[in-house]
Amino acid sequence: MSTLLKIRNLSAGLQGRRAITQVVSNVDLDVEAGEILGIVGESGCGKSTMAAAILRLLARPQALQSGSMQLTLEDGETYDLLQMPEKKLRQFRWRRLSYIPQGSMNSLNPVLRVRRQMTDTLVEHGLTKEEALGRAGEVLEQVNLEPRVLDSYPHELSGGMRQRVIIALAVSMRPALVVADELTTALDVVTQRQILQQMAAIRDELGTTFILITHDMGVVAQVADRMAVMYAGRIGEVGSVKDVFASPLHPYSQALIASIPQQSGQRVEGLSGEAPSPWNYPAGCRFHPRCPRVFEPCSEQAPALRPQGSGRWAACHLFEPQFEPQNVSDQ
Amino acid sequence: MRDLLVVEDLQQVFKGRKPIYAVDGVSFRLPEEPTILNLVGESGSGKSTIARIILALLRPTAGHVLYKGVDIFTRDRKWKRQFRAEAQAVFQDPYSVYNPVYKVERVLKLVIRKFGLASSAAEARQRMEESLRAVDLRPQEVMGRYPHQLSGGQRQRLMLARVYLMRPRLIIADEPVSMIDAGMRASFLNILLDFRDTYGISTLFITHDLSNAMYLGGEIIVLYQGRIMERGETQGVTKAPLHPYAQLLMSSVPVPDPSRRWEEDVTGLALAEGGPSTSSQRQRCLFAERCPQSMDVCWQARPILRIPDGADMAARHVACYLYQEEQKRG
Repeated sequence: MSTLLKIRNLSAGLQGRRAITQVVSNVDLDVEAGEILGIVGESGCGKSTMAAAILRLLARPQALQSGSMQLTLEDGETYDLLQMPEKKLRQFRWRRLSYIPQGSMNSLNPVLRVRRQMTDTLVEHGLTKEEALGRAGEVLEQVNLEPRVLDSYPHELSGGMRQRVIIALAVSMRPALVVADELTTALDVVTQRQILQQMAAIRDELGTTFILITHDMGVVAQVADRMAVMYAGRIGEVGSVKDVFASPLHPYSQALIASIPQQSGQRVEGLSGEAPSPWNYPAGCRFHPRCPRVFEPCSEQAPALRPQGSGRWAACHLFEPQFEPQNVSDQ
Repeated sequence: MRDLLVVEDLQQVFKGRKPIYAVDGVSFRLPEEPTILNLVGESGSGKSTIARIILALLRPTAGHVLYKGVDIFTRDRKWKRQFRAEAQAVFQDPYSVYNPVYKVERVLKLVIRKFGLASSAAEARQRMEESLRAVDLRPQEVMGRYPHQLSGGQRQRLMLARVYLMRPRLIIADEPVSMIDAGMRASFLNILLDFRDTYGISTLFITHDLSNAMYLGGEIIVLYQGRIMERGETQGVTKAPLHPYAQLLMSSVPVPDPSRRWEEDVTGLALAEGGPSTSSQRQRCLFAERCPQSMDVCWQARPILRIPDGADMAARHVACYLYQEEQKRG
């Protein structure tokens, strides 16, 4: 598998009157071509800011601070998304990269039929009217919607159908990468399953890469290949979904997985304390005030995300050889 | 023995060009002993409408709700006041409950004042701190703050602190954890379990998220388009559902375990229409058009909720002809 997107040292924040409050700090992440990468974290951990940064859709007061993002397409051409001029970027979006923001199923224009909304977008990106109509029908079929949906207004469709229209729109230009933010959050479980399986089917059929941003560990466990766990603007752990669920390395991932309600009769303890907001991120490792395995270096130095073998990464001093904690028994 | 709450043949029809049957013949009861009853269903299944009726916020089109044997829509004001103290609501969005210009402890102070729970300011403060500790909040971290300064989880637990002060008999919780992060969810649900075991408080827990219901245990009612499809012990119903709708629902829960992934592909399945039933043909099973096992009889008469034939399952009820032998043969 080749790497589609290489994110390095990405930082973004909120521009205040005097200073920028950093929300996402020094993110390093590789996205492999054709994978479904889940990004999980609690609300306010910077997932959505990171998604917007990947598409360079940060809008004031959001501001990009640093970083590089190398996109390598199938034909071998490499682009740095952060250096790209705005005009070129406009062509790139939708054609190469598309974005499904949170709650987008409610963003369809209520006074236009689905047909018009789909073909307008395609015509804007260079297709003729006939081609656009043909393509619209084709992608609707790919998401299991009947052609009659083209003649419907958004209010005539159920939430699940509207979300399928959005997915159809997102993949209509055959982009290499789709970033989907909370794709199924407002949907019922059966519809959620249908949408997620639809997404996986599109990946299998077209080879589209998906970044799936969610707070729901169940969603990641069901459909993602790899996952990145975010906490307070930093990535704590990256690995295959199987590995992370079976043996999470970072104490935060451990707590997150341990706090999932399994079934009645087996009580689990929630994570104590509150996640910090960007205005009061703690120094050192941002998880250290809540961490059950905290030791000396944690409050002073931020751990870097380092490889831990077999495709796994973790940012935790427990795995830094120079610290070798004496008082903490390794698992 | 008298039941705590009896819901009898409840019906709520919203009139219009196409009448909407939000709740269509729902009956269930909560026993005297402390219980957790989960009411689950997709959006439009009528679960929130049922909650509003039980809280006496909405008068049903037909049917009754009896609390300790008395109709909750009685005109007796003294009884009503007592009922409002004993049946407490916890809603989905904890933010909308607070007045943003007051400090958060006002929700506790008001309760203490209104129901005369303390005789002095010092005692009031003591009661407040005790209630905060009961829901895992540190008084010094919460008191004196404004609603926007607390996280969703803290705000929602503060609502439970208020409930704790009141010591009600019944909590009606409508999607209380849907806005709380995963890490916090378990501690919120644990508080409800403690309330039941320690203080004898029953909970009617309304959710679309089955994993919460599975964790709480107790009893479960599965609603679809305003009707009960199946009910029974939560563990039994979630592990081995009988009704084809309940089966589809349970198998679609995203289990947070990558070694237990969905096997069957359901992308081709008929999509849920979303929303409550407006179907004018009521004398049939409302799930028939989506049901993979539908028979002729399903379209001809409404299946009644009853104990399934040939099954030895305590308290399990299902509204499906597949479990009614004489119908199946006929």
